[in-house]
Amino acid sequence: MSSKQSDGRNKINIKRLTLYAMLVAVCLIVGYLESILSISLTAIAPGIKIGLSNAVVLTLICTGDIKGAWAINIARICLSALLFGSPISFFLSLSGGVASTLVACLLSRLKSVSIIGISIAGGVLHNVFQLVAAVFITGAGVVYYLPILLLLGGVCGAFCGVMAQLIFIKSKIFKY
Amino acid sequence: MKKGDFIIIATVALAAILSVVLLFSLSKQGSRVIIKQNNEVVYDESIDKNVNFNTGTNVVVVKDGTVFVSEANCKNQVCVASGKISKKGESIICLPNKVMVEIK
Repeated sequence: MSSKQSDGRNKINIKRLTLYAMLVAVCLIVGYLESILSISLTAIAPGIKIGLSNAVVLTLICTGDIKGAWAINIARICLSALLFGSPISFFLSLSGGVASTLVACLLSRLKSVSIIGISIAGGVLHNVFQLVAAVFITGAGVVYYLPILLLLGGVCGAFCGVMAQLIFIKSKIFKY
Repeated sequence: MKKGDFIIIATVALAAILSVVLLFSLSKQGSRVIIKQNNEVVYDESIDKNVNFNTGTNVVVVKDGTVFVSEANCKNQVCVASGKISKKGESIICLPNKVMVEIK
């Protein structure tokens, strides 16, 4: 958890740096695959995504590495906006990403909430804050998506939570 | 799954139901169709007037009190997939072409 446990020669833990870089790459690839998949889901709500890359961030939060989770999430949002997005999509995903990571960090301190609950809350809040940002950009008409976004945020969040739990149990790469 | 998870799920479910009730009790049948392109109004007529309006990038169809986008030259086709709208305050947005269809 702390870089002080390394041998002291390097200020940055190389193993961790590599892991972060790899995780950002995983996030971007998953995000790209999702954007292809999301075209078929657009009929439900425009541009809906499962948000699988959040499973990566979530796993990191559950290992206790809050700083790493923030770093990866911000890097992922900036890079995916540069690669596949537009200024508007950048602000939408930034508002959602920051809100959901914040609530996930806070909830991860509670012992009575598991990774699935954190994920659901994060997914729902992601959608809510994205909608708030969309209201500022396009006008109040988009609030009609609120019920479906709440519901889908919960469902997708639960899915990501289960995925994150599976990764967390199975994977040893987070034990650096 | 722990106790806190169920509290979160219950809260989300409650919020979803509440938002449906609120939005549907507040929504009214719309009266006017407004189409904006690059933030300029290019069309403003009653919703009862049936028309196929071409903005040059998107084809907006007004038919029997409902409005939908039938064609768009952008690659994501989000506005076409948005379906029909008829209630006050609803909108269809095409971000790539900066076209916005709104009901007032």
